[in-house]
Amino acid sequence: MPPPPSQSEKIKEPIFVKSVIPKRRQELLKWNGWGYNDSKFVVNVDEKQNIQVYFTGKRYPIGEVPLTHLAQWAIDMLNIDLTKPPKTSQPLPTESQYPESKIPQSILQQLENLGISHSIDVVDRVVRAHGQTLHDVYTLRNSVFERIPDVVVWPTCHDDVVKLVNLSNENNIVVIPYGGGTAVSGAVECPTNEPRPIISLDTTQMNKILWLDRDNLVACCESGIIGQDLERELGKMGFTTGHEPDSYEFSSLGGWVATRASGMKKNTYGNIEDLVVHVKMVTANGVLEKNCQVPRLSCGPDFNHVILGSEGSLGVITEVVIKIRPLPKCRKYGSIVFPNFETGVKFMREIAKRRLQPASIRLMDNEQFKFGMILKPEEGYFSLVLDGLKKFYLTKIKGFDVDQICVMTLLFEGDESDVKLSEKKLYEIAKQFGAIPAGETNGERGYMLTFVIAYVRDLALEYDVVAESFETSVPWDRAITLDRNVKQVVTNECKRLGITHFIINSRVTQTYDAGCVIYFYLGFNHKGLGDPVVLHNKLETKARDEIIACGGSISHHHGVGKLRRRWYPKTVSNVGLNLYLSVKKELDPKNIFATNNLVQSKL
Amino acid sequence: MDISRSYRKKMDVSRKYEDFLEFRRQENSNFLWVSRTLHPQVAYIQETPPTPSLHKHEVLHSPKIQELLEKLSIAQNVPKTYFEKQVKEILDEIGYNKSIKIIRWLGMVLTKICLKVSSGIYINGNKVQQIRSMMGNCPVIFVPSHRSYADFILMSYMCFTYEIAIPAIAAGMDFQGMWGMGTMLRDTGAFFMRRSYNDDSLYWTVFKQYIYQLMTRGDLPLEFFIEGTRSRSNKSLMPKFGLISMILKPFFFAQVPDVLFVPVSISYDRILEENLFAYELLGVPKPKETTSGFFKSLKILKEHFGSIFFHIGEPISSKEFFGNSIDRSIHNIAPLHKQELTEQEKSAIPPLAFEILNKQQQGFVLTIFNLVALTLNNTYTNKDKLPNILELKHKVQWLKGVMESLGAYIHCDDVERGIRECLVVHRNLICFNSDNEVCLVENQIQQGKINTVKLKAHQLTDQVMTYSVPFVELQLYVNPTLFHIVNLAILLAVIQKEGILNKEDLWDRYHFLRSLYAMEFVIPAQMEHTVFESALEHAIALNILRLAANKYDLGTNEELQNLLHNSFKPFLVSYSTVMLVLQNSPQTCEQKTILANVQRLLEDAINDREEFVHPYTLNLDTLNNCLNSLCAMLILKKIIRENVLSFEIDKRQLDVIKRRLDVYIPSLRINEDLLVNQQLQNKL
Ligand SMILES: Cc1cc2nc3c(=O)[nH]c(=O)nc-3n(C[C@H](O)[C@H](O)[C@H](O)COP(=O)(O)OP(=O)(O)OC[C@H]3O[C@@H](n4cnc5c(N)ncnc54)[C@H](O)[C@@H]3O)c2cc1C
Repeated sequence: MPPPPSQSEKIKEPIFVKSVIPKRRQELLKWNGWGYNDSKFVVNVDEKQNIQVYFTGKRYPIGEVPLTHLAQWAIDMLNIDLTKPPKTSQPLPTESQYPESKIPQSILQQLENLGISHSIDVVDRVVRAHGQTLHDVYTLRNSVFERIPDVVVWPTCHDDVVKLVNLSNENNIVVIPYGGGTAVSGAVECPTNEPRPIISLDTTQMNKILWLDRDNLVACCESGIIGQDLERELGKMGFTTGHEPDSYEFSSLGGWVATRASGMKKNTYGNIEDLVVHVKMVTANGVLEKNCQVPRLSCGPDFNHVILGSEGSLGVITEVVIKIRPLPKCRKYGSIVFPNFETGVKFMREIAKRRLQPASIRLMDNEQFKFGMILKPEEGYFSLVLDGLKKFYLTKIKGFDVDQICVMTLLFEGDESDVKLSEKKLYEIAKQFGAIPAGETNGERGYMLTFVIAYVRDLALEYDVVAESFETSVPWDRAITLDRNVKQVVTNECKRLGITHFIINSRVTQTYDAGCVIYFYLGFNHKGLGDPVVLHNKLETKARDEIIACGGSISHHHGVGKLRRRWYPKTVSNVGLNLYLSVKKELDPKNIFATNNLVQSKL
Repeated sequence: MDISRSYRKKMDVSRKYEDFLEFRRQENSNFLWVSRTLHPQVAYIQETPPTPSLHKHEVLHSPKIQELLEKLSIAQNVPKTYFEKQVKEILDEIGYNKSIKIIRWLGMVLTKICLKVSSGIYINGNKVQQIRSMMGNCPVIFVPSHRSYADFILMSYMCFTYEIAIPAIAAGMDFQGMWGMGTMLRDTGAFFMRRSYNDDSLYWTVFKQYIYQLMTRGDLPLEFFIEGTRSRSNKSLMPKFGLISMILKPFFFAQVPDVLFVPVSISYDRILEENLFAYELLGVPKPKETTSGFFKSLKILKEHFGSIFFHIGEPISSKEFFGNSIDRSIHNIAPLHKQELTEQEKSAIPPLAFEILNKQQQGFVLTIFNLVALTLNNTYTNKDKLPNILELKHKVQWLKGVMESLGAYIHCDDVERGIRECLVVHRNLICFNSDNEVCLVENQIQQGKINTVKLKAHQLTDQVMTYSVPFVELQLYVNPTLFHIVNLAILLAVIQKEGILNKEDLWDRYHFLRSLYAMEFVIPAQMEHTVFESALEHAIALNILRLAANKYDLGTNEELQNLLHNSFKPFLVSYSTVMLVLQNSPQTCEQKTILANVQRLLEDAINDREEFVHPYTLNLDTLNNCLNSLCAMLILKKIIRENVLSFEIDKRQLDVIKRRLDVYIPSLRINEDLLVNQQLQNKL
């Protein structure tokens, strides 16, 4: 580890960050769903059977206002009966529901001796037994996990982790790193048939900002720091990492590295692999790191890329030196309306070709555009998107078809003059594509909704509806067909499975030189059709098969975990698979990081 | 997908057909109907509905064509615009158009014609509705059987009736020559494909790209004939793989989510071109389709053609058919336009083509006339007394039972009325003689001066032509029944000649004959065994064979045995004669010479009326099938020099095969007649 650089400013380092999220997560966050306890969609039915949907709390701008159109939409699209009482979740798990912790008393004693905080409380264990897949949440609400960790430990620094890993390795105990628990790949779930005791290594109490290097614009942070804490603290000092995955309120730095996360503003700041300058990983075989903090090096295969995406299967990431940037002086939203999806994608391709991407550029398909309208409080169907323009103008003068219109949201960050220039260029090109700028409010709203959308699933589950998403990356020339084929395959499969009410829509969320990212939303009413998790699994498998057939990838940023394992060998070739396995064998000969992610280990 | 299942499946006797001309017959004004507002269902809904000219534009500007033009321009040092002009011309030659005015006008004309000359156009309407409701999500390909030029006109008419978007139809270039016809077909959605594979690689690249374009960016259904050409014999032809490969390419490249193939079997009570086909089968060159020829055919308005049956088959989803056997992700790396189908993909196509063809074959509707033809044919072969109408009725009734038990669907309300209708519809072919027996009509044929260059084989005498044409025409209506009985006939032939056999030996002999005749009675190799098993079951059930102590022996259903024997006999004779001629030919021999010599031998045999030799043995379709089959067995090798087809003969192998085949040949004088052999030798 390079020595901390000299400091001129007077900041007391390390910075002990007080996280928004308490050690007992369930005090602030839902134990059986997404996000904050105080934030969720609720349905009110008054005496006159008027149905009103709200989003509770004031954390998000959408909160506490009636979402007038949502109920009807849900009835029309998903055949939901909102007058029926919602399906409730079972209460918090109790000791009797799960087998006793298998952790030997001797180990607990050693943890005690090491001074490492731990718990065998069943709620603590259940809360860390899962991520955010449908399977996870559905199980939380309705049944029990086949396997949960036997103990939760909270190391507070790199050295704690070293000791923990040694202890585990000596005693052949399984360690599963746990950051924010936002994984949507099954990555944090315990392998069901693991006979050894399992430790859940919660990194969140290891969340200091160790030092800031203003000359090189990097910060050294412990891996457990949560996105919003990191941004808040850096912000106070006038900096940002610019890394903003949609889950950044709850996900951790270590989790980002372990899953190869991607943030919304990657165009300006880069993805996690671009942001990481140095990283430490504690393995069963010692600590993997480099001896310098350099912008790039030519030195054989880059082992950072062994760590990135390892999904907890090779070791624990403890400290990350990450790039920081001065806070942008100007932040501006924007939106553009396109006559149809294909034109929108062509425009994006053009912008990527000219490398004119603002911090974020996203294209919603027609259905999502409409859904965005639905989530609008009060006003009429069209008033918001048109922002002064009239629906009349779009449809009658420009000849746009309401059932084909797509909207693009934009986020600009930088100096004011740069933002202005960037806006000007973009809107000019948009004009050439027959598109029409549709104002800032729509853009801003689009990004705000991103965070709220994640709460929809919990509401949906209460009414027999599954609402999930999946994503992929794809070369430009295949984007349109991939999008179209996947929707078709999902449609066919729904019909085959007897699903009558479903939605499948998409957005292009990222652009690259050589391709883009497509993010699909899938929702369906599963009433009377059996286990929704099984149904969903069938649908998503077909969809992924089609994605891969169409030239898309196993995942752009959600990772492989356990859900997408079956596509891993073909993605990396047999040689690649064996390469991973031999790395695994070298770093973890006893397979204590038995996450079973990427590859099912042969126990 | 389990193809074998579909081969074993029993015919659905509860099929329901509706006469869609009925509505036309009843309405006061056909005009109002043809000019109604149309809501045609398209196959593959596109964000921006394409137009014919957009297709051409996009083909020209596709990276595939653009890169090719750049290459050509550099290689030949000619400006690219020169080639662009060529591509545009090619596209104008190929591309379809759409004129709703012409479509309506044609709709009117067709309604009038059909009402006049046919007694009904029947279709399984439920299936049409079902398919219509499935459309919109991926390319849909109609694959009709091809027995007549009327096929695609009627297909379009059917679509017009049921408000399915009229397909873009792959048509042969020969129509282009017909003044007016070419444009008219083009305006109703036909696009044109040159027939022979010349080496104009620019043309074929453009053509393939055009198909790719229609598949990926088009919204209309496509239609093509998997048999490649009209079957002159009224039997299914071997499927062709060229166009279907082009159609499947975007599926293998994952550019479309699926491709649905809809097999369509069109059966005619009476084929428009029956007379023409008889001539062609005998080797009289087909007159080039000219408009005057077309207008001449307006004389058809004075004739009656009975009923027409459309059987729309269950759509075949390519995605389901290929299942996991095809990994579409192999095309993920490198631009698609620089990729071609892999060998594995190419080899996956024929089974699908055969499956489509099989579905067509199962779908055909037999009419009473097919059974009348089979009966009369048998009477003549046996030199029996000709039947009066009552006798014929009994025979037909009996045959109907047999055929239905074999899974055939026969359209018939009342046998006797059916026969009487046959005598009207087919009055050019059958009639009552002075004894009130039903017999073949004989027309004196005078060929006049024949341009020998245009002859495909031997010049048959007027006398033989006069005698043969009715038999050949009759056989056109026998042939559709063979799909159901040929396997029984082969089993019978084996046991008749070889006596009692165990199953293994029987399979061995059956397999030999079945593969020799695989092109005559189209069957994919992998299906032989399943078909064998099911034929055996039927043979036992019908008492053609019987099973005792695990061995197969002749059964006692002599009447049916006789019929089976006689219906297969001409094909045995033709093949054996082809081999005889080959044995006596030089090492390498021109196709035309071989065919001529076979016909010459058979002509002699036919003239020798002592023994009945069926004139259908002369037909070139069968003779060529034999040659092709021998090619597939590597006994012959095709050599094409200066557009002349010759065969190189492996005589040793040929002897082996011939000896095996001759076991089953009914004793015929040609075989033994050394004189004939010598005569032949002299001629060669
Ligand atoms: C609503 C929602 C929105 C999302 N949006 C995005 C997005 O925009 N972009 C994106 O990239 N992802 C997104 N995700 C997925 C998820 O947030 C990311 O994968 C994230 O990086 C996971 O971080 P985490 O801290 O929650 O990790 P966890 O879920 O706790 O763990 C994920 C995996 O990493 C391992 N791991 C965690 N910490 C460490 C460590 N310190 N050392 C070693 N291994 C470790 C775990 O063992 C596990 O295998 C989203 C998820 C949700 C639910």
